[in-house]
Amino acid sequence: MARFYLEKGKVAAFIAHLQSQKTVYAPHRKGRNAFAFAPVERPEDVVLDYPRTVSSIKKYFLPAREELLSFNLVENTCAQPAVAPLDAVFLGVHSYDVHAVLKLDHNFVAGNPERNYLTRRQGALIVGVGFTPDRFHFSGSVGIPAGDTTGCDLFLHPCEGGYALEALTPGGEGLLAGFPLPAHAAGLPAAAPFHQHIYVPQAKLKDVLAHGYDSEVWEEEAEKCTSCGTCNLVCPTCYCFDVEDAVDITVTRGSRERHWDGCLLRSFTEVAGGEVFREEPADRQRHRVFRKFKYISDETGEPWCVGCGRCTASCTAGISIVSIVNRLVNDYDAVKA
Amino acid sequence: MANKPRVGIFDFTGCEGCELNQLNFEDQLLDILEHVEIVEWREAMDGRSEELDIAFVEGALSTPDCIKRIHEIRRKTKVLVALGACAVQGGINALKNIRPIEQVREEVYGQDKYLFPTLPALPLSAVVKVDVNVRGCPMTQLEFLKVFTALVMGKAPIEPGNSVCTECKLKDNECVYEKGMICLGPVTRAGCDAQCPTFGQYCTGCRGLVPEPNVEAMQEILVAHGLSMDDARKKLQLFNANQLEGVS
Ligand code: SF4
Ligand code: SF4
Ligand code: SF4
Ligand code: SF4
Repeated sequence: MARFYLEKGKVAAFIAHLQSQKTVYAPHRKGRNAFAFAPVERPEDVVLDYPRTVSSIKKYFLPAREELLSFNLVENTCAQPAVAPLDAVFLGVHSYDVHAVLKLDHNFVAGNPERNYLTRRQGALIVGVGFTPDRFHFSGSVGIPAGDTTGCDLFLHPCEGGYALEALTPGGEGLLAGFPLPAHAAGLPAAAPFHQHIYVPQAKLKDVLAHGYDSEVWEEEAEKCTSCGTCNLVCPTCYCFDVEDAVDITVTRGSRERHWDGCLLRSFTEVAGGEVFREEPADRQRHRVFRKFKYISDETGEPWCVGCGRCTASCTAGISIVSIVNRLVNDYDAVKA
Repeated sequence: MANKPRVGIFDFTGCEGCELNQLNFEDQLLDILEHVEIVEWREAMDGRSEELDIAFVEGALSTPDCIKRIHEIRRKTKVLVALGACAVQGGINALKNIRPIEQVREEVYGQDKYLFPTLPALPLSAVVKVDVNVRGCPMTQLEFLKVFTALVMGKAPIEPGNSVCTECKLKDNECVYEKGMICLGPVTRAGCDAQCPTFGQYCTGCRGLVPEPNVEAMQEILVAHGLSMDDARKKLQLFNANQLEGVS
């Protein structure tokens, strides 16, 4: 489909044009050095050139905290809250986060369809944006270049003086109606290089991980790990949760809440009766990495990590998933080569 | 409710910042009182009771008299609830435990030290069985309300075991390490909704350590972010001097 030129000076007007049609969620500065997706109030607050957001746009489809039920203990009744399609534009999403949503779609359609997630997902239009990889990104190694437009309706390729705006779907073209733009005739600038790499394809990682099940790397990394769970909570393809009932102070009504949880947390592996089924931090670290490169990947043939680098960038202990995987690759090659 | 639980409220060594009347419960206090009958409360009423369904106890144990009283309370109480960091971990008081007790006594009371017997500051759980903890300095109101409603309903409250980091991430916060600060969130027990990092402060660990904390890893993180090993230890000791020594 068509490619247009959106000069920098017109970006705010473009965002306002999107706002006139739908709610727009986009990256904003949060705190001093962080970024987070938030509903756009003023187009000039949107940041399109950012390294990564704290959480991905997953939080809109699978909220960090979500009420599943409200109940009344006096009348003995309960009700599910209404869940509606978001019908919104997600602006300024990096390619890896779009891929992460597509992976969650797969997870939530398969088996028992996840009603709330799938309902909210309906009508979401995605405007992707290219990025310059920093020292943590490695999505190129898992098949997701910075300029990958998969899953997007529109895509903003950064170029001299602004963006090459690519229309990819009829939904995306619809968003442009009434906002005339000149065609972008020039080609796209060469993609900036990644600084982190996993050099082997998923087909080989399958064997590498099987071989590394008893590797010493799990214990070595566990010694540095506080089991804080941050790496899970920030991961755009993690979807584990816990469910808790809360009763209000009148003891007449309450609600059932679902919130994100993660496999690195000891309490996550604690079940009824106090049994902890994955007691060792090393086993939990292995489980996380296998969830990203083995278990679901063996079924789908794809890595379930999108290379966003969040887990590594946010780990206060500096534990790097790329280093872990590469260490396993080296160990494998040393034995099998 | 036909039989309201009989409740006693007690205090030991602490700043009394956790006591119910000190906390900003506003409208909720009336709802709370609706569900229980308060039969013993030094702050607000005379008299003692022989039997209690629930005892809320704040403060650390730091004198021989404290030990005697906590045994008395335990004997007559069905459910004993420790309120706040002092009662749960020994709190800030426990900082005195890291130095010889005689030296501490001398510094505080000088030549009158023989009039004031003192012991290392202990959490209630070091002396009697504690059924429920409400953590925090001052205690986390959110957790108090959860524990309270569970007890009124006759259910066992669930004690959070996750880290403060999890709650911080649920709120999409910027990690304070990104701003060059340090934080004890990775090894501190959740339940406060990560209130300090949410307001741009760091977590000092007031809610105590998570179960099976990797203290060495936390120290390494603090050192990697510029603290000396000694300062790292001191940061961790502020609210957890007892736990670090294996007392809990
Ligand atoms: S973020 Fe780092 S320290 Fe925390 S659980 Fe994950 S690997 Fe461990
Ligand atoms: S495992 Fe780490 S790098 Fe991979 S998608 Fe999750 S957070 Fe991103
Ligand atoms: S600010 Fe503290 S609690 Fe929040 S993620 Fe960072 S280390 Fe964890
Ligand atoms: S963030 Fe840390 S210091 Fe602040 S209330 Fe929570 S546990 Fe206490």
